[in-house]
Amino acid sequence: MKGQEWYQADDIAEEYDDKRFSRGGQLIDRREKTAVLDALGPLEGKNVLEIACGTGRFTVMLAEQGANVVGLDISAAMLQQGRKKAHASGVDDSLEFLRGDAGRLPFPDDHFDTVVAMRFFHLADDPAAFLSEMKRVAREQIVFDTFNRFSSRSVYNWALPMGSRLYSANEVSVLLAKNSLELVDVEHDFLAPYGLYRAIPNVLASPIRTLDRAVGRLPLTDHLMSVSYWNVRV
Amino acid sequence: MKESLLEILCCPLDKNDLELEDAEYDDSSEDSEILSGTLVCTACGERYPIEDGIPNLLPPDMREESPA
Repeated sequence: MKGQEWYQADDIAEEYDDKRFSRGGQLIDRREKTAVLDALGPLEGKNVLEIACGTGRFTVMLAEQGANVVGLDISAAMLQQGRKKAHASGVDDSLEFLRGDAGRLPFPDDHFDTVVAMRFFHLADDPAAFLSEMKRVAREQIVFDTFNRFSSRSVYNWALPMGSRLYSANEVSVLLAKNSLELVDVEHDFLAPYGLYRAIPNVLASPIRTLDRAVGRLPLTDHLMSVSYWNVRV
Repeated sequence: MKESLLEILCCPLDKNDLELEDAEYDDSSEDSEILSGTLVCTACGERYPIEDGIPNLLPPDMREESPA
């Protein structure tokens, strides 16, 4: 897995949320959360596993909405941040964090209704194997995102601390077919890459996002989008 | 972790049941929160530590002492 050491350092974990989701990052945060909530539908009583949950951004949100959630990550430092967040939100009772390998999950077959993996597949060295393991523990649904190959993400990618795997829509289709997963819905978004939104001041973030969405509604721009949110059925 | 998590956890290597050993509980919480202990696979005997309340189910080859 790429960037393992960088990602697990205590100082990186403590600053992770502030650094990623301040300024224009908030727009990204909201968009991602909407994508996850829309895909999952009603959450009351649902059993959800989040792979690579990090500081628990989605894990805590899902628990707040009534789901029973397990958040899995390789980093103890990230998970301790998640625990603090869960405690502050008062959702400790419906949420558990644990360290584990996404390729060898410590759960029985078909245990969860839904498996969520956001910001995960761009770090995956063997995406087919990871997807297959997620399918093993999921009864109904898998929700994930990808960063796209033929987009502005390609340009920005070289600057990242951990590098990043990019996908074409076709590659994802092949991955789904290999695992006999059925595509329910996909949304493509962000002509401008996440990195731009994180770098610019708040006052510019909203106008640029508005422009991004406006241009994104034009025909034939889907395949230029830097991010795709996938909702698939097991 | 809460004791109820044990019901769903299994060994990441062979998916067999785990047994809890040397558990230390957080007295301040009502629902038996486990702060430390060891989860042991009932089949292969592999041991998984619970550290600061978080179970570490990383397979042995992915733990800190071995190169990532």
